[in-house]
Amino acid sequence: METKDFICPHCAKGFKSPEEMKAHMLADHRGGALPSPEGRIRLTINGKAHAPDVKPNWTLYHLVHDHLGLTGAKQFCDRGACGSCTVIMDGKPVLSCMILAIECDGKTVETVEGIAAAGHPLINAYVKHHAMQCGYCTPGFVTTSKALLDDNPRPTANEVKIALSGNLCRCGTYPQHTIAVLEVSQKLTAS
Amino acid sequence: MGSLSDKEKQTMREMQDNLRADPFPLNTYTHIGKRGPRRLDGHLKASGKADYTMDVQLPGMLHLRFLNSPFPHAEITHMDTTEAERLDGVRYILRYDHPDLPSRASLGKVTGIYGDPPPLSRFAHFEGEPMGAAVAAETEDIAEEAIRLIKVEWAERPFNLDIMAAKDKNAPLSYPEMYPDSNYWNNGLFDVLIQGDVKKGFAAAEQVVEFAFVRRGHTWIGPERPCGVFRWKGDCPELWVKQQRPHLVKKNLCTWYGGVPMNKIQLHCLYQGASFGGWVQVPWNMGPLYCAGLVARETGRPVKYAFSRREDFYGQSMDDGIYRFKVGFNDDGTILAVEGTSTCANQIWPVFNPVNHLRENTRIPHLKGKIETVWVNKGPAVPTRCEQLPATLSLTMVFSRVAAECGLDPVAVALKNDGVEGHDMVHVSAEKKKLGFPDIDSLAVCVEKGKTAMDWDAKWHPPGAKQLPNGRMHGMGFTWTNEWDDSLGSSEIAIRIERNDGTATILSMGCDNGVDAENTYCQIAADELGLNLEDVHYNPQVDPGFFRMSPDSSTNLSVNGWAVRHAARILKQRILEAAVRPTAETQRGSFRAAFPDCAPEDLDILGSVIFKKSDPSESITLADFVREAGQSGPVTSTENAGFRWAFTEPLFAFSYHVQVGSYNPENPRPHLTRQAHFLEVEVDTETGEIFIIKAVNVNDVGKAINPMSCEGQQYGGTVMGWSRGKFEEMIYDPATGVMLNGNLIDYKIATTLDVDAPIDTILVESGMGYGPYGSVGIGEDVGTVMTGLIGPAVHNAIGVWIDDHPITPDKVLKALGKI
Repeated sequence: METKDFICPHCAKGFKSPEEMKAHMLADHRGGALPSPEGRIRLTINGKAHAPDVKPNWTLYHLVHDHLGLTGAKQFCDRGACGSCTVIMDGKPVLSCMILAIECDGKTVETVEGIAAAGHPLINAYVKHHAMQCGYCTPGFVTTSKALLDDNPRPTANEVKIALSGNLCRCGTYPQHTIAVLEVSQKLTAS
Repeated sequence: MGSLSDKEKQTMREMQDNLRADPFPLNTYTHIGKRGPRRLDGHLKASGKADYTMDVQLPGMLHLRFLNSPFPHAEITHMDTTEAERLDGVRYILRYDHPDLPSRASLGKVTGIYGDPPPLSRFAHFEGEPMGAAVAAETEDIAEEAIRLIKVEWAERPFNLDIMAAKDKNAPLSYPEMYPDSNYWNNGLFDVLIQGDVKKGFAAAEQVVEFAFVRRGHTWIGPERPCGVFRWKGDCPELWVKQQRPHLVKKNLCTWYGGVPMNKIQLHCLYQGASFGGWVQVPWNMGPLYCAGLVARETGRPVKYAFSRREDFYGQSMDDGIYRFKVGFNDDGTILAVEGTSTCANQIWPVFNPVNHLRENTRIPHLKGKIETVWVNKGPAVPTRCEQLPATLSLTMVFSRVAAECGLDPVAVALKNDGVEGHDMVHVSAEKKKLGFPDIDSLAVCVEKGKTAMDWDAKWHPPGAKQLPNGRMHGMGFTWTNEWDDSLGSSEIAIRIERNDGTATILSMGCDNGVDAENTYCQIAADELGLNLEDVHYNPQVDPGFFRMSPDSSTNLSVNGWAVRHAARILKQRILEAAVRPTAETQRGSFRAAFPDCAPEDLDILGSVIFKKSDPSESITLADFVREAGQSGPVTSTENAGFRWAFTEPLFAFSYHVQVGSYNPENPRPHLTRQAHFLEVEVDTETGEIFIIKAVNVNDVGKAINPMSCEGQQYGGTVMGWSRGKFEEMIYDPATGVMLNGNLIDYKIATTLDVDAPIDTILVESGMGYGPYGSVGIGEDVGTVMTGLIGPAVHNAIGVWIDDHPITPDKVLKALGKI
């Protein structure tokens, strides 16, 4: 059986020699840029371009937490019930444990680390009002709150509660989150 | 106290006497009691930079996952791991028959208190129990897949879920490996509490009622799952642990693997994603860490174990059971006798008697309480914020019943029966004076403030008497008890003045459960040393050889606060002594005395500045003082250059404290501070839904050292209490013994939308606690007490008792006869 050891990276067609493959690529693919290796995605995280090679079973949580070291996203429930792994993707708060990383090609992602690095006043407001105790769920709340304020700069208290109702806090800090978010809302809209 | 004078030793002994009022409070407080945004953990936690054990990743680290029993009671008869071993990425499979797994647990348990299942037992005693085998693999996913490939042959055994059925002598044994004689098990330690003679009390009472109620089991839900990382560096273990009590991990570990010297163990206790229970002492909790160490040794690689969310449901609260009470009282609400029995599931430590809080806080002369612990095929019942749940629920139900039967305001009934161990408030007043406390009627102060905040007198009404314009029934609930004083703990704490800049570092390992305790200890140290608060720091995540009592979310400020204070006072004395005369004469000389013509008592420290009391302008900052005095390290070149840098001994002090207080039935100290809680609800009688309208928490904390932290425990505990009172229950299929809601979708906890009501938090500072400055702990109690208050509030609304907690809408409708 004839072997075809040289596989076109564009269309997987086999060729007996590199010369034949090269001719094919120039003729049929017009010498275009090579496609990405399987599993490589390109996305922007906290304003910086990333091109990680991800496995099909990785969630976005695995990518940011385990492989990029952005450990602010936390795993609490592991099934989309707690909000602790929330990140902002293309302006919307999403549960990173429920999204496959490989589906995030071309997306823009913001994590709590990016929110803090940008000096968002939510961080200081959370500290000031003790909107945290053990702190494990806190980054998820901050991220969800940031997405809320981006979308709705002047939310009512009830709108804050609704926005944060998917975030679980076992320490019971809920009353403080509304206080902190409304204070930041007032500060940002006043300025 | 070796380097102290006799006078100083005497002072230390007096300082450590916490059987009476604090004899040495400060005259003024600069940092203690002040509000402020400073949380040492604040920015780290809000910005996602705080590290938790679940975040730890080490080079080459393997992931360990466990086989879970599909049956509530079964024995592994055969196991074939061949297929699992073939899976790519699997590095090691630890089986129950590994020769280095002990046949009985030797995990550092307290002998005789509870059973001792071995780690990775081949016997399962509840569905979902991690047991039998553990797989270490390159990723968690691979480990989980390999677990599914293990072929297990099981011998199923009969099981029990119902405690009353399991109590029968003919019932099958639930935990025969631990309790081979009977499911009914008490260790005989404080299981019966008797005061006076209840028969006399019932005979003298104008009314006697009997009632029973049920509390369904619930669990802690730690946001960070149980986990740990184990690495061997030669024969030295290095561990990262998520544990409330890291000192016990070290204590236990020294007995493992044939013995590990304590001084070879390197422990890290990072931030803790809370736990609210699940003791380190419990073998179900410690066993996985034992397995991780064994696999790490076998593979030569670091091993991280992490329970799945489902596995974190391995245990439950200690109040899962049936409570039966007989109460004798007069028409004016005076209670004469209470007899109560709690029959609860799987209490590993059945020492918290159902009438204990009645003994501690009331003048009721005749009490008889009995604990019955029955083992069923559920997980172990361990302190779950907290072990006082049975006793506080019992107090709430007894007082609410008596008030309802008498047609009285429950606040009035509480005030009428307030006291200590059968004695009235006259006796308590005399005790306060004898012990050096101010004579403040703590409950009276608490209820007055609470009633005002709640507008109680205007809102309270007889049960079932008020329907609102929106059609709902309006209800008011009230309960009370003592503040938790302490928890029979000990604490070691050291403080070091850092070279070169004079900042202070507190040294002692403990877990962080989020109550801003590190800052609280800094507040005490700063005030005692006279330092600015920003000059005192505390990182309890490293192991300096000292361990404080933890968790702080319990009541342990009253232990650790003393230890910090003792150490700070000793250290301040040393600083002042060093300031007046050289110490540590060495070959490099010593430092220049800053105040050579003074005695230590002529000096003081404030704002991190040492100064002369008679002329504060004569001063030196502590930073300048130690900078000159504290140079150390190689100085050859400077000596060659013609001058010497001085050297003096490090400015360092340690101290410790041992509590003898409550949780000990033989506690020699009366409880003097009280808490009072008020709840307003509305009940929709068509749907059974309970709407919480307002809560008021009043806590006499004695002295609020960190007020924002105290308030956090008040509203946080209230939220947890509502959640447990309204929703939380572990549900089992009676036919299969399988837990049906072991996840965070089906096991409901409160969200922001369930906390739509204002929660007033009021602190009272009577100074009547046995902690430093008259303080008490507050971490556990509000969450514990509020859990039982939904019931009385709903009764006040609908006029019918619901004796099955949690109070869910279906039970409301059933009580109303609508379903």
